[in-house]
Amino acid sequence: MDPFEVAFEDVEDFLPDSPTTGPGHIDNENQFLTPSNLLTSPAPTISIGTNASIGYNEDEDEEEEEDNVDLNIRNIALRDDPDKTAKTRAILSQFTGEQMERFEFFRRSRFKKSEMRKMLLTITGMRTVSEPMVVVVSATAKMFVGDIVETARTVMTERKESGPIRPCHIREAYRRLKLEGKVPRRSVRKLF
Amino acid sequence: MNANSGGPSSKSKAGSLQPSETSFKRKRGVFQKELQHMMYGFGDDPNPLPESVALVEDIIVEYVTDLVHKAQDTGSKRGKLSVEDFLYLIRKDTPKLNRCTELLSMNEELKQARKVFESDEEKLRKVFEADEES
Repeated sequence: MDPFEVAFEDVEDFLPDSPTTGPGHIDNENQFLTPSNLLTSPAPTISIGTNASIGYNEDEDEEEEEDNVDLNIRNIALRDDPDKTAKTRAILSQFTGEQMERFEFFRRSRFKKSEMRKMLLTITGMRTVSEPMVVVVSATAKMFVGDIVETARTVMTERKESGPIRPCHIREAYRRLKLEGKVPRRSVRKLF
Repeated sequence: MNANSGGPSSKSKAGSLQPSETSFKRKRGVFQKELQHMMYGFGDDPNPLPESVALVEDIIVEYVTDLVHKAQDTGSKRGKLSVEDFLYLIRKDTPKLNRCTELLSMNEELKQARKVFESDEEKLRKVFEADEES
């Protein structure tokens, strides 16, 4: 399992004091804590702990040579930034159960390293792909998924639609991201 | 509602990318499970629609493909493809750039920590063996 983005183990220790928002509402307006903000916060320090496989990631264990690393939510000492630590913990402490669960999946989900490496090998045609390269491409791709989903939600809000995201929202989101220049496009333009 | 985005593969079935783009034939739903969790984490329903997940997977594969090709375009000037080529491409996207540099430095730290650990282990083993001989 990728040690960097390991989820918080002791989530139960962080029960919310009071739900600040209704069920099902994700506070996207919160400037401190949009998913992209949280991903760019300084890295939490890692405490190398016991081998604790988190449920659904177990199938990744075999491919990982690294030790599993526990990231204890109580030990979130965001490097050199006690201010941000305090803010983050304050926000996290107010999460509803649903928000916390969603946050867990936000932190833990990742593209499988082996699959990503396979894909990169095929695309590049190289015989090996360096570890940093897999890390960077995986992280970039994950954040791009975030761009898509968040933009799709914005589209749904504009259209006053609810429920699961539908392909039409994703297509519109993708179109907007292209306009923003967030989608890599090779300079050779297709004529048709 | 305009259902055709005009993008090259957003409407194509998985695996039917243009031959000029890449010869990458992939099975359907390689990233499906992880993508479901990811989409939920970023704001979708706890159970995202399968067609939405499939579409996002198509988009991501194309995204990574184009990203790599662009990186190769810049990298080829120097020779091998390197991580720096990717970082250069995302330089304008600050959150992505910050995240990547953060992960890279953590990667490095972990490598060093493991090296120290392994060399300590080795020392310990030698002490053991010396003890047993005496």
